[in-house]
Amino acid sequence: MTLRVWRRLFVVGFVVVLLQVCALQQLVFLGAHPDIFLLMAVCAGLVAGPQLGALVGFVVGLVADIFMPTPYGLSALCYVLVAFGVGLVRPLQGDRAPHLFQVATGFVGSIGGTLLYEVLMALLGQPHLPRAELVDVVVVVSVANAILAVPAVWALRWIFALPGRRLGRQVAPAHGPLR
Amino acid sequence: MATSRRQNSQRLTLLILVLASITAITLDYRGPASSAIGSVRNSARDAVAPIQRGLSALFRPVGDFFAGAVNYGAVVSANAQLRNEVGQLRRQALENAGAEQQLNELLSVQHLPFLQNSKTVVAEVVSSSSSNFALTVEIDRGRADGVGPGMPVVSGAGLIGTVVSAGSTTSLVRLITDPDSHIGVRLPDGTIAVADGQGLGEPLSLADITSSAPRPKKGQLVVTSGLQGATFPAGLPVGTVSAVKTSGGALTRQVEMEPVASLSNLQYVDVIQWLPAP
Repeated sequence: MTLRVWRRLFVVGFVVVLLQVCALQQLVFLGAHPDIFLLMAVCAGLVAGPQLGALVGFVVGLVADIFMPTPYGLSALCYVLVAFGVGLVRPLQGDRAPHLFQVATGFVGSIGGTLLYEVLMALLGQPHLPRAELVDVVVVVSVANAILAVPAVWALRWIFALPGRRLGRQVAPAHGPLR
Repeated sequence: MATSRRQNSQRLTLLILVLASITAITLDYRGPASSAIGSVRNSARDAVAPIQRGLSALFRPVGDFFAGAVNYGAVVSANAQLRNEVGQLRRQALENAGAEQQLNELLSVQHLPFLQNSKTVVAEVVSSSSSNFALTVEIDRGRADGVGPGMPVVSGAGLIGTVVSAGSTTSLVRLITDPDSHIGVRLPDGTIAVADGQGLGEPLSLADITSSAPRPKKGQLVVTSGLQGATFPAGLPVGTVSAVKTSGGALTRQVEMEPVASLSNLQYVDVIQWLPAP
């Protein structure tokens, strides 16, 4: 990644922190709030592919962990796996409508990410959520992230200086984001 | 060939990032970096707290609107119930005034820890938990105000949680309903038990109540036990018994209680400047 990409990642990361910690956290619905950190990891996989997406997911996770009461590094681990997984399924987009695919990926990726987080919490011996509460969290996070997926993809495209074209029509280089 | 090389490169990156994450988790658990990470977290919370406070006034009504829209019927019902309870409590307060005075005198004679001997710090809840997987709230008081980890936090009605970490101007409070919360409590008949959190909106579960102990009654007030080494002073109201189940042949009873304090919409709380004996 170039210095410009890191600089833009810092700017977007700062905005995301303020948005999550100062605004979205207050919007509690069914006992849960949207998780834009997870959304950034999902969209990083979608925009930048598995390798670079996982790296962005790792950075976003480390930043998110500063504000989480859970073990430091847990979000980073979760987001790395989520971004890598989403990056692997990116070619599935093909000729499908880009916005619809982004919304669907935000929705499904957030369900997977939330469940993966719960599994990792259990593996680390952390207290885990009751099933009913977990369902509420999954519903709120996935629906909110689906709604926010398009602007999140737009922000990540800006980070990597990508044109706003359909992802499926572009050819990904061997090592890096689509250009 | 190129595809294979690319896949190998992707796998190597994934492996390195997973190992780096696991290293961070391990350091947070065991290494000397744990306290450094705690300091960074506290500083970050302190840094964003002023913006949080400013935006809280803007976004809290929006969150309340959505919550109210979904739970309108329950809100109306709860309002009527609360009006009724306020009347009952006013009457009880008058009745209890005399008994409270006697109790204070008895406790002071026996040198028992008592809440009135501890100072409190009034704090405003500035944010709910940043994680959907932990039931915590952030308050706008920290070490500069005399707030420290381990101090109990109460609202008007009773115990709501304990301070788990404190920055300079903000602190993180773990709620009593968090699955990681365990409180030593005492029932009116003197039975000692542990109240375990079971998640948001779920009642607290009382563990270790044997079938041979007197059967708790619904509505009985449960308070902190304050036994030697306890993490809370004695006598803080925690909840009221809501369900008692005994399965045939079981050696213990399943007792549940509802917190006396409303944890769903906290705004102002009191931090008791009390720490357990070392």
